[in-house]
Amino acid sequence: MSNPILSVRQAVKTYGKFRALDAVDLDIREGEFLTLLGPSGSGKTTLLSAIAGFTALDGGVVHARGGDITPLPPEKRDFAMVFQGYALFPTMTVAENVGYPLRVRKWSKQDIRDRVRECLDLVQMGQFADRMPNQLSGGQQQRIALARALSFRPDVLLLDEPLSALDKKLRADLQWELKALHERLGVTFVYVTHDQDEALSMSDRIVILKDGAIQQEGAPGELYDWPRTRFVANFLGKSNFIEARMAGREGDRLIAEAAGHRFAVKPAAGAPETGAGCLALRPERIRLGRPGEQAFAGRVKQISYLGERCQVLVDHDVLGEVLVSQPTWHAGVRPEPRMDVSFGWDAEACVPLTDA
Amino acid sequence: MTRSPLRIFFATGSWAILAFLVLPILVVIPVSLTDTSFIGLPREHLSLQHFDTFLHSPEWLHATWTSVWIGVIVGAASTTLGTAFCIGCWFLSDRAAMIARWVMIVPILVPPVVQSLGFYKFWVTLGLIDTHFGVILAHTLLALPYVTISVFAALTNLDRRIPQAARNLGAPLGMAIRTVILPSIRPGMITGAIFAFIVSFDEIVGVLFLTVRRVETLPKMIWEGIQESVDPVIAAVATILVFITLLVTAAAVARSYVASKPQAS
Repeated sequence: MSNPILSVRQAVKTYGKFRALDAVDLDIREGEFLTLLGPSGSGKTTLLSAIAGFTALDGGVVHARGGDITPLPPEKRDFAMVFQGYALFPTMTVAENVGYPLRVRKWSKQDIRDRVRECLDLVQMGQFADRMPNQLSGGQQQRIALARALSFRPDVLLLDEPLSALDKKLRADLQWELKALHERLGVTFVYVTHDQDEALSMSDRIVILKDGAIQQEGAPGELYDWPRTRFVANFLGKSNFIEARMAGREGDRLIAEAAGHRFAVKPAAGAPETGAGCLALRPERIRLGRPGEQAFAGRVKQISYLGERCQVLVDHDVLGEVLVSQPTWHAGVRPEPRMDVSFGWDAEACVPLTDA
Repeated sequence: MTRSPLRIFFATGSWAILAFLVLPILVVIPVSLTDTSFIGLPREHLSLQHFDTFLHSPEWLHATWTSVWIGVIVGAASTTLGTAFCIGCWFLSDRAAMIARWVMIVPILVPPVVQSLGFYKFWVTLGLIDTHFGVILAHTLLALPYVTISVFAALTNLDRRIPQAARNLGAPLGMAIRTVILPSIRPGMITGAIFAFIVSFDEIVGVLFLTVRRVETLPKMIWEGIQESVDPVIAAVATILVFITLLVTAAAVARSYVASKPQAS
């Protein structure tokens, strides 16, 4: 990795018996959009807080541009942060909020005025400069928090679940805006969320945390297509798990057997190639057909219609409940409850997991 | 809105209780306007003579002025100390801080006589008996619980991430407190200061224990006046106090009304 802008080494933080961070190593590249993704209690917020300097680590170090910043107080670190709930200063106007980091840095009045205007325009909030924060909607407050954090041109922007308080549609709009802002400014974003859609749609790289340790990291597509563990396969998107018997390699493919069928999967590093194995299978990679058309016979148990997609729960004698997701437009079979169907998948649709 | 008998009953009851609470206070007003030279209701006509006596009595004016400046200093001192204490506890927010806050409330629970006795014994050792400083110190300690209650109430409404945001944006701790925390809890501090002033302004038990002749506050003068004579000037003083209290309270209420208006729009 070429010259990380920020790196965390062997970070440990315990609260009593609870290990919030368990020897975490993380390198953050200059200019990337990195997302720390995990359920609550996974340590993602603790990690961000340790980077920002609000949480003192029990062990390990934080380096920025090669220097050790572990002992520095938050105000000396120069990372801007966008807080959950925005944390706007309630007694200051929007313009005073955005100018706060500049006043702290003793900029001249004129420079502050210019920069505040520039930052407010950046988030399309120019006409709200004289409002008080409590006169703004959630989405507007979010934009002000972003403008305030960016006003002193930090190298790194830390974002702690910034969209979690907004409604779904607004959240989707702001995801596009955040991504565009990241591309325009070239600032490194470190983004904490528990929302997999946010993580997938914006990130250059996702780090998945569980119980204070990194489970897996990679580009969104890479993680989605190649989860290594059951946890990752189920946390990022949905997955079916197939208990299979691995029958070794055949050329550059791995052969698996389940429910009396043999099929090829792509080998994955660390996953067992013989004996018992577990395969992850994404619902949208399964094809439904009329009885006999596909390899496995099953019966529709339940249908959930989502507009663009339709999720079908199919019962199979050996595999149990299998979740199938298919587009509602041009679907091969229109499933009905209690209908007999068949299902199957292409070679290499399944991913062998390491924690069989 | 229907006017059921139950509703009328409760409304009448509420007003009756309110009247019971307020009327004994208001009775001093006619007494202060009496034309007699002893405490009682006006006989022939209303008279402002006792107000005139008050305004031309050096002793009464001196005592009033003493109570005012002691009250102002007590208000400032207890608000400063109480706010510092609250901010410290708020940042720690652990078990020790919670215990400290409870200990701080204790002066409200202890009977004033017992507390004054304690002050007396201790102030004798310190040589603070019959000094203004001794009274200010005692009143500051008595007023602190009210300040901490009011300031801490303001702090509990403050998002903990707000000072974090200030520090993250480059402000050292002291600056974050000055520029972000103090402005946010100012209403609580002002309420606390007003309470502290009132606690000191009408405190009598401690003053009787701690002073002899050199320190003369308004409550002490009223107390001594009632013991020595039945001069209606006391009713005039009481009336003035009632109106000052009303004014201060009205100002405080108007302030909070104005402050809440922008949020409503």
